[in-house]
Amino acid sequence: MRTVKGLYYFYIKLLIPSIVLSFVLSCFYMKRDHISAGTGISFILLTPTFHYFTYEIKNSNEYYFYHNLGFSKLNLWLITVFISISLGFIITSL
Amino acid sequence: MTGLHADSIRKQIGGRQILNDVFISCSQGEVVGLLGRNGSGKSTMLKIIFGSLSADNKFISIDDQKINSLYQSKALMRYLPQDGYLPDHMKISTIISCFCNKENAAKIMDSDLVKSFVHRRIKQLSGGERRILEILLIVHSDAKYLLFDEPFNGVAPLYVEIIKELIKEHSKDKGFIITDHDYRNVLDISSTVVLMDNGNTKVIKEFNDLIKFGYLPAAHADSFEIGRS
Repeated sequence: MRTVKGLYYFYIKLLIPSIVLSFVLSCFYMKRDHISAGTGISFILLTPTFHYFTYEIKNSNEYYFYHNLGFSKLNLWLITVFISISLGFIITSL
Repeated sequence: MTGLHADSIRKQIGGRQILNDVFISCSQGEVVGLLGRNGSGKSTMLKIIFGSLSADNKFISIDDQKINSLYQSKALMRYLPQDGYLPDHMKISTIISCFCNKENAAKIMDSDLVKSFVHRRIKQLSGGERRILEILLIVHSDAKYLLFDEPFNGVAPLYVEIIKELIKEHSKDKGFIITDHDYRNVLDISSTVVLMDNGNTKVIKEFNDLIKFGYLPAAHADSFEIGRS
């Protein structure tokens, strides 16, 4: 349970900005009836990008917090890719 | 074979052999002080033992259990890196509850060291407060073996004494491997001292060995007992 809580805080830092920016971008660049598709596709691309800039570039030492909870860098990247693809497809289909 | 054993660790970085078939061990109740010059591979070795850095070759075991991944070691080993590792955006109380079981989380929150800032966020803490919290989290974790990379770095003398007391107190039932350039404080709390030199480890029996192996200049030839009682 504690590790799930840790993961929640890792991803909340990525998912909120990613979904907000995806929505804003698709509002600007997509027609009204394609906004969810645009948001979903942007989300698939933006989440790993946010992961890269947030944890690989800006706060790389924070990885040790999650390593101490048992998650390797590879684990965290795989979860990011899984979440971005699955949530992205769900948003696209709305 | 009980205890933490790290054997045959080899690591080459940029064509330079940093670690050359290194061996180190630690048992519960022991504090191993790991000394070495800058670039001697101390931090690299701790990261490899912990599992956050890959090695060209390694064999890590804890109480006869071979450790291959971070997931396997999470209940057995924790690592304190050189620089701050706590996420800035999280509340201290949340971090404590993520890291420790309920009993230990309550101990940290009630501690005089943390009580005054437990409802703040990490980014609102000073460097010393942050380091104390990081160390408290690691020593109060469930893990039996703790790897500390420069715990005294950038910490005021008052906090250094507090950290030393914490380590001494918790070393009764945990094993520590500690590296820091503040060798006097490391020697003060260590029961075994190991020197890293040219990619190898040497067990230090007496203070003058540190001069003999070129870690300290001859000017430091004063008495300092190796291996606390």
